[in-house]
Amino acid sequence: MAIRTLHAPAKTNARDRAERKLAFRMTAPSLVIMTLVAAVPIGYAVWLSLNQYSVRTAGLSRFVGLENYINALASQEWWAAFGQTFLFAGLSVSLELILGTAMALLLNLAFKGRAVLRTVVLLPYAIITVVSAITWQTMFQPNMGLVTNVLSTLGLPGGDVVWLGEHGYAMAVIVMADVWKTTPFAALIILAGLQVISAETYEAAELDGASKWQTFVNITLPLLRPAIVLAAIFRTMDALRVFDLPFVLTRGANGTESMSMLAYTQLRENRLVGEGSALSILTFLTVMVVSVIYVRFAGGNIRDVAKEEQ
Amino acid sequence: MDLNRPALPLQNKPRTKTALAATALAAALLLSACGGGAAPQGAEQAAAADPASGANASGAVNICGVKDASGIYKGTAEAFTKANGKVTAKYTEIGATTDEARTQIVQRLEGKSTECDLFVTDVIWTSEFASQGWLLDQTKLVEANKDRLIPSTVETTKYQDKYWGSPFFTNAGLIYYQKDKVAKPETWQQLYAEAAKTPGNGYVYQGKQYEGLTVNFLEMLYSAGGEVLNDQGDVKIDSKETRDVLNFMSEGLKNGSADRAVLTYNEDPARLAYESGDFGYQRNWPHVYRLLNATPLASTFGVAPLPAWEGGKASGVLGGWNLAISAHATNQAGAVAFIDFATTPDWQKHVAMDYSQAPVNEAAYSDAAVLQKMPFASELLASVKGAKPRPISPVYPQISQAIYKNVYAVLSGTASTEDAVKKMADEITTAKASF
Repeated sequence: MAIRTLHAPAKTNARDRAERKLAFRMTAPSLVIMTLVAAVPIGYAVWLSLNQYSVRTAGLSRFVGLENYINALASQEWWAAFGQTFLFAGLSVSLELILGTAMALLLNLAFKGRAVLRTVVLLPYAIITVVSAITWQTMFQPNMGLVTNVLSTLGLPGGDVVWLGEHGYAMAVIVMADVWKTTPFAALIILAGLQVISAETYEAAELDGASKWQTFVNITLPLLRPAIVLAAIFRTMDALRVFDLPFVLTRGANGTESMSMLAYTQLRENRLVGEGSALSILTFLTVMVVSVIYVRFAGGNIRDVAKEEQ
Repeated sequence: MDLNRPALPLQNKPRTKTALAATALAAALLLSACGGGAAPQGAEQAAAADPASGANASGAVNICGVKDASGIYKGTAEAFTKANGKVTAKYTEIGATTDEARTQIVQRLEGKSTECDLFVTDVIWTSEFASQGWLLDQTKLVEANKDRLIPSTVETTKYQDKYWGSPFFTNAGLIYYQKDKVAKPETWQQLYAEAAKTPGNGYVYQGKQYEGLTVNFLEMLYSAGGEVLNDQGDVKIDSKETRDVLNFMSEGLKNGSADRAVLTYNEDPARLAYESGDFGYQRNWPHVYRLLNATPLASTFGVAPLPAWEGGKASGVLGGWNLAISAHATNQAGAVAFIDFATTPDWQKHVAMDYSQAPVNEAAYSDAAVLQKMPFASELLASVKGAKPRPISPVYPQISQAIYKNVYAVLSGTASTEDAVKKMADEITTAKASF
């Protein structure tokens, strides 16, 4: 509703124009700051990506146009990292949404100690990613890790698997670590969505004789969609930029090198500034395209549901 | 309700915003275009350190490097200040890890910072830094001190026939073995065969995808007579020796000589696994000696230099740290004086006794006081003297990546030896071309 008033046709009289000028003048300083803070570094990265920085000449640049991009897109490494990042994002985000919804439904129930549980559930999210990555690495260490020890003591399969040294398993651990850490975040957003569904809707359903499952599928889930989509957008954007988990757990071995890790290696370890910047920009573009797609397709729902609710 | 709001602005992107962003971008491009043309620095322009200048030095010297975990840098700076009287030395930590320190040093050198007179540099950084004209040529200084330095340690400071640093302390791989279970290894073949014989005799090393795997692989490759680059800098890794070593290593993982878990091990996990007592052999650095002595294995473990390849001779890979003078040092004479002090035979004994690091002075290894603290000194000296530097190239990080990624692919079973060798050679050639 607030948005509608903003877009209402304005009468163009002198006072309005004066006010608009004033508004512009008052926002100008923050615009300048935003430009300096956000646009300049991005612009600089774009410029760097169009140059080749020779290690020999210590930083002297040579304009090469799109060559760095073409090389990156023609390389096996980029597409491997691309595929691995998407596999990671797809797996972890879908698990987080399913578990997050379940967690939110649980936390939405009225029971004693709910407030305490809500806080406790958020704990994994409060831990720094690198620290939790090191914990997961320790847990899955062969011979003495907690998980491998428990599995082999109980005679369960997986006790003799070198989790972080094996294709497939390594990705599984990284996905698990991410799900463990960020499911609470998804749950929190979904919980907020749950709490605005009015009780009358449920009362009406009950009067109509709907079963618990029918209520969930036909009422809760559709009304929850905007919240779930929002959680999905946040989590997907984050997952596509993943760096610390694979960096700590595997150093990118066994099919876990992400796009960000590739860019890091070129930029920091190899000092190939142009190539590294091009990879960063490609990662940035990938994340942007994906979020635009989300907003286009899933975002439509957000608007529809919002309208319906009004 | 409010949940819907954050998503909305994403959809309503007014034109003006795009236009503004475009303008800002253009401005940024212009700005950076002006700043982009820094003058090249050739290695030729670098000045040389004067060995005689140390005697008349005065003032303050700032030494910069990685976090001082053992206290060796600060301890040396203090001892030097006390002994010299005219020059005061100070150690500044500029990075928590080796990687972080390198980034910090590179930033200072690129920016021509005068903050640090001396840098403590990892042996693998020499060619990169020297090739950028960032360091002072120390050839004369090294020549003057050569008789007290172990030749292999001096080689780690060499780039294009000049010396760009002085060795401070060195490092070489050792084999730790359980005397009650396995024999002291003479050759790699013997070690692997004995490790496979009985469960509990296994071999652990650093097989994770990182620099340490490059070192583990090169130790075997060098002892088999193989090489990465020859003296002219040509790529020589596509060889029978490389194939033999790769097949040998991956066979060792299949037949149980080495535990598959080594694919996830760097230095510390390898040490911890070995401390559980479930293994016969471990490859690690000298610092592990002190730690092993504090475990129940203290009475049963022995230390050996790295073994030879059957029919070849033993040859390790050198680690360790050098002292490099910044090309922008404000107190070059003070830096020379500090290097003189740090490499004296007397101080090198302290390097071993007080900080458990490997000295760069040969006499220190047979000193009675040193032997008491470091009973494996003669094994260590054998490893250090036989060790060779890692490939000397300004693009060493890329060369090392080409090695450890492809070696890892073979060990983990995702690539054949043949494909990996071809890829390794290709990637190293490409890396060299990028310089």
